[in-house]
Amino acid sequence: MKLSTDALLIGIAVLLAGNVQAASPYAGKTKAAAVCAQCHGMRMPATEAPFPFLGGRDVQYLRLALRQYRDKTRLSPIMNNIAGSLSDRDIDDITAYYSGLKP
Amino acid sequence: MKTTIKQLYRVLFAGIAILLCWSGAVSAASGDAQKAHRLYQDNCGSCHGADHGGYLAPALNAEALKGRSATALRTVIMVGSFDTLMPPFYGRLTDDDIRLLGEHIQKTPKLPNPQWRIEDMKASLKVYVKDESKLPAEPAYPIDSMDDLIGVAARGKYGRGNGSEAIFIDSKSHRQVGKVPTVTAAHIIDFNPVNPRWAYVKTDTAEIYKVDLYSMQAVRSIKTGFNGPGMGVSRDGRYIMAGSFVPHVAVILDADTLEPLKTFQLEGVDPDGNMVSSDSGMVIGTPFADIFAIALENAGQVWIVDLQEGFPVTKIKNVGRHLHDAFLTHGGRKLMVASYDDSIVAAIDLEQRKLIKKLPAGCVPHVGGGAAVVVDGRTLGFGTNFGTCDKTVVSVWDLDKMELVRQVPVSGGTESPAAHANAPYVAVDIISKDRRARTIQLIDKKTLEVAKTLDVGGHAYFPEYSADGRYLYVSAGYNGDEVVVYDSTSLKKVASIPMESPAGIFSRGRVKYMTRGLSPDAMQE
Repeated sequence: MKLSTDALLIGIAVLLAGNVQAASPYAGKTKAAAVCAQCHGMRMPATEAPFPFLGGRDVQYLRLALRQYRDKTRLSPIMNNIAGSLSDRDIDDITAYYSGLKP
Repeated sequence: MKTTIKQLYRVLFAGIAILLCWSGAVSAASGDAQKAHRLYQDNCGSCHGADHGGYLAPALNAEALKGRSATALRTVIMVGSFDTLMPPFYGRLTDDDIRLLGEHIQKTPKLPNPQWRIEDMKASLKVYVKDESKLPAEPAYPIDSMDDLIGVAARGKYGRGNGSEAIFIDSKSHRQVGKVPTVTAAHIIDFNPVNPRWAYVKTDTAEIYKVDLYSMQAVRSIKTGFNGPGMGVSRDGRYIMAGSFVPHVAVILDADTLEPLKTFQLEGVDPDGNMVSSDSGMVIGTPFADIFAIALENAGQVWIVDLQEGFPVTKIKNVGRHLHDAFLTHGGRKLMVASYDDSIVAAIDLEQRKLIKKLPAGCVPHVGGGAAVVVDGRTLGFGTNFGTCDKTVVSVWDLDKMELVRQVPVSGGTESPAAHANAPYVAVDIISKDRRARTIQLIDKKTLEVAKTLDVGGHAYFPEYSADGRYLYVSAGYNGDEVVVYDSTSLKKVASIPMESPAGIFSRGRVKYMTRGLSPDAMQE
């Protein structure tokens, strides 16, 4: 009985740890392909495109900017729409992906 | 009398004022129309057709867009279309220009096939290197053999501009050894079979560049039409033939100077008895003879042009409905031509100059560059299919007996197979527009079953083996912006080469083995 309680506690601990695991650049890459890459590219925007670089930029800056766009504290009709559907987790993953690229 | 004159003046002034206003309005309107036309040609025409009739991308004209919401059209122009080549024009064009374009495409009818005569071609010839004798005598970069070169058509997201290049890679080191800007997107890369220094790059807008692979620069270019991918090089390396969708013309060029020698009006009686003007499908030279073969898409005919005085034409009729691309069998004696609308691949004997058999294919066969490979003494041809009817298959034919061996079930529509004598798998690109588009499937040459699915990412297409067969190159396409390289036996990823919207991949080894998968010996058979 004691053993199984321990097992249960360990199980809960593992689950909790799972919930706070670090942002995943792999999940971020998939999300970026679906949400961001059309304009910003998977690595960099197209040579002829007018969109800003994301690859290799500071993760804190990217995270702040995306959250502001999502929460409409920074205004851009296009970006407010696109970021509007992102969760905190998505933002962490996406910014982990782009910031980890070599500029 | 005085008042009368005053009144007269008044009337006159009013008249002049009205006239001025009216002509002002007219010139503003025609100015807008001209601006819209220019915007369309500069941003849309190379994919959607200079004639608004569609090309790589859908037709944009009054008929095709009837009933479409103007707002929805503007939105697509602004943000692009996900999982297609359509890029976002937000920030690149002004809101007013996007609005103008949206209105323009909804009211413009498909334009008549414009002329592009031999004089126009001659006038478009550009010489970038005047004295070719001053070019370096050897490659200006280390490479074991020029056959190791792989050319990639890097389209650039907008299909034009600084992102559009032909990029060349050494397929042993997987390093980029050169890039040649092409102004509009490169589409097809062919190599001179005799002199390894020359390559020919055809763009979406039908310019052909003669490229010096030793110094990695374009030496000449000529505009052969408005669009259409057809291009072939003769076995002696002396001639190029190119065919267009717009206009319905093919041309033979001197491969050295790119000067046009003769044009051909593409028209004929289709299998249903109608006289039609026709797009050019594949154009191909063969190691078998001094000829070009060209498929007339709508006329359903294959023409064989002899490379001799006057370039006489033999016409093979009733080949199929809506022909497109083709590949050569071993020895280069037979041509396997895909026929979209009746879902067959037609076998043509280039020696007897006749149709010998119609073989079943999947739906809407698109054989790409084709693949043929010897397995247990049989030479097998592999054909891919655009269409996704009830079953999606890759067809395998015995190219000696000219019969269907098997239709291998695959996970979606396919457009290009790759094989190599030294590689265990035939690779096909799955192009169905969902998660499957990220993948390449590998068919075991022996069992003719799908053995493995590679998740390349992006929109993976146009697999190609290196000349030695050790590596499989795949474009991750417009959503991946890289070419990914795999070991062709272990299928482990060995390299990634970043570039903007890569599409077709062309190994110089092709001139050696003619159709991908055949060994160089097959050319002597």
